[in-house]
Amino acid sequence: MNVTFWLIAIAVILLIVFLPRVGLFSQWKSYRAAQEREQMEDALKHLLDREQGGRHASPESLAGTLSLPRQKVTRLIEGMETKGLLESRGDQLHLTAEGERWALHVVRAHRLWERYLADEARMPLEQVHTEAHRREHSFTDAQLDELDAALGHPTRDPHGDPIPTREGTLPKAEGTPVTAWPADRPARIVHLEDEPALAYEQILAAGLRLGQDIRILERTPQRVVLSDGENEYRLAPAVASNISVAALPESEALKREAVPLTEIAHDRRAEIVTLDDAVQGFTRRRFLDLGLTPGTVIYPELQNFFGDPRAYRVRGTLIALRKDQAAQIWVKPV
Amino acid sequence: MNPNDVLAKAENLRNNLSSGFRDEIVKSLYAEAETIAKRAVKTAHEKRYDFDQKIDRLVTSPFTGLPIMLILLAIIIWLTVSGANVASEAIANVLFAFGDWVRALFVAWNVPWWITGFIWDGIYRGLAWVVSVMLPPMMIFFPAFTFLEDLGYLPRVAFNMDWLFKKAGAHGKQSLTMAMGFGCNAAGVVATRVIDSPRERLIAILTNNFVPCNGRFPTLIMLATIFVAAGYGGFTSSVIAAAAVVGVVLIGVGFTFLMSWILSRTVLKGEASAFTLELPPYRRPNVSRILYTSIIDRTIFVLWRAMQTAAPAGAIIWILANVPFGDSNLAAAIAGWLNPFGLLLGLDGVILLSYIIAIPANEIVVPTMMMMYTGAGMMIDGPGTSEAIRTLLVDQNGWTMLTAINLMLFALLHNPCATTIMTIYKETKSYKWATISVVITLGTAFLVTFLTASIARLLGWA
Repeated sequence: MNVTFWLIAIAVILLIVFLPRVGLFSQWKSYRAAQEREQMEDALKHLLDREQGGRHASPESLAGTLSLPRQKVTRLIEGMETKGLLESRGDQLHLTAEGERWALHVVRAHRLWERYLADEARMPLEQVHTEAHRREHSFTDAQLDELDAALGHPTRDPHGDPIPTREGTLPKAEGTPVTAWPADRPARIVHLEDEPALAYEQILAAGLRLGQDIRILERTPQRVVLSDGENEYRLAPAVASNISVAALPESEALKREAVPLTEIAHDRRAEIVTLDDAVQGFTRRRFLDLGLTPGTVIYPELQNFFGDPRAYRVRGTLIALRKDQAAQIWVKPV
Repeated sequence: MNPNDVLAKAENLRNNLSSGFRDEIVKSLYAEAETIAKRAVKTAHEKRYDFDQKIDRLVTSPFTGLPIMLILLAIIIWLTVSGANVASEAIANVLFAFGDWVRALFVAWNVPWWITGFIWDGIYRGLAWVVSVMLPPMMIFFPAFTFLEDLGYLPRVAFNMDWLFKKAGAHGKQSLTMAMGFGCNAAGVVATRVIDSPRERLIAILTNNFVPCNGRFPTLIMLATIFVAAGYGGFTSSVIAAAAVVGVVLIGVGFTFLMSWILSRTVLKGEASAFTLELPPYRRPNVSRILYTSIIDRTIFVLWRAMQTAAPAGAIIWILANVPFGDSNLAAAIAGWLNPFGLLLGLDGVILLSYIIAIPANEIVVPTMMMMYTGAGMMIDGPGTSEAIRTLLVDQNGWTMLTAINLMLFALLHNPCATTIMTIYKETKSYKWATISVVITLGTAFLVTFLTASIARLLGWA
């Protein structure tokens, strides 16, 4: 009896450990494989990032980014070299064509996921990067295509960075050099040229970044002065010509004369001017479905006893919205 | 031109679209609809809205809104619990009388005892029990609830409660699915369809089981009456028993909020979410629609699923109670084996085994327990008076106050019944969420009962 019991117990334990696919051992192996792949993909991204910045990655910079000891980094680099993803020349690491294709694939996954989390899951912008970083691995091109289509083929991530296409090209940044932009129109920075690197570094050092809204204060052959409303940025015209700008989205201009719906007092009528650009994806579709289109008259009719949500009368129906959502609907009192 | 060319062309054209083209499409649709409506519909004046507004002010104001809500909920639960008792007994009498009659025929025909027992004491008894206990409360609860739904009152409750649910990362409409859960958790899970945001809907589905359903109320009431309120006389004892049941329900609500909060910040973080809530105009309830929705869509639907799982459970219960093992039966052997684990949780082996074999429906937990405690060969009601039940449980089977309280907690927090699990799978189309719903509830139940038992033992209370 006792011997049988122990034999069965041992057999069961062996099965649990060594069963193909579902056993602990193979689970552990696939976990390790996933981890290795993640490390490699992070390394590829780092290399791509460096190359796009006009510099080259080194084993040191890689060790720093991945927070790995040098020894492991050396092994990682060797492994990636045998796979034909990178070449090391002296102390510099270069992506091969295949390596660059893979790196762009990961960047695409990352930025699509950022778009999804910000638009559909309404995750605060400062959190999307970490969560997208967790999700970007182990997706096939076909799965990403599906995600891309479900999100309506976005071209930029929520931070304004371009999303690579499936073929691995980054959409061209449409835009005009700030030196050629009409001086009296506000504009948004849509591209910072990273060649030559010296100019690029000067732009970054000045504190300008992608997606910033700026106005041109002064433009002479000696200098260009830009302002974002708080700070002034002085640049040499040769440097400033590496900054491309485009017109602000229409909604930005509309928002200037509007107030958020939350500001409207009880039973005061207002007309919807625009939905905030931050409202995308699922919430925007819901808003549009409910008839919250520009030009519609809306007024707060009912207040929850805790103050949030409020119910608004729109086209004869009563719709309750929470404060954070109502704040993204821009209206003007009528 | 082949399909690929078309796709390629569409791809090219898509790149030239402005980012706001979807907004433009919707805007033009609404503009078109408005012109048509203006041509076809004549509005005399807005008097109807004024009336609706007055009611809305009343049901959402801080002073009248909350009392109205609580009173309505109390009325519905009181109607259900008190009305169902009578009907349940009547149905049980009819069904069991029919069963006994056919059983007697089987005996007269000399059918082997194990066939008679398996079919009539096992399968049929399980079915009859579930039908007689489940049907009446549902026939009262669902029409009453559907009446409020049809009236247009329920969205106002969601509106009132939303602030609280928002703190837990959930949707105000979850208050409605929770209220539905009092009737039946499976129906509560189906009711989450009213929540249009995927993340909040999943939260409502996964936490619905923390609201005790009709099948668990009798257990809670029995334990509260026999143990918590024991030793008090007449009126005081019923007040104390009622307070104990309300306390357990509030603990369940507390766990709902806690689990919603945890879920929305962990596994459900990346699910799509948006809050909108339409408050439709009030309308006169439509009796035939209420009856159809509550009887066909809810009662029959739930009952059918419950019967599908109750029949095999009845069979298994009978087999366990009638297959000899050692000097007793299989049920006693398994209960004895589970006993150390049960004691760790402040329960015992019989209780755990009852919960395992009574997964199909919470209604048969107590009858199964009574069967094992008395050593009967089939599910039974147990002794008729509270005194006799106390003697059976405390004196003969070693129950303490801790056992009673932990059983109440376990009944509240344990895994959903098979019908609910099946419904969760059907609603989410995912084994993952069905599994998670079991893991989080069972995990909570084990953890909470283990902690209360350990604390009680450390402090020397039990």
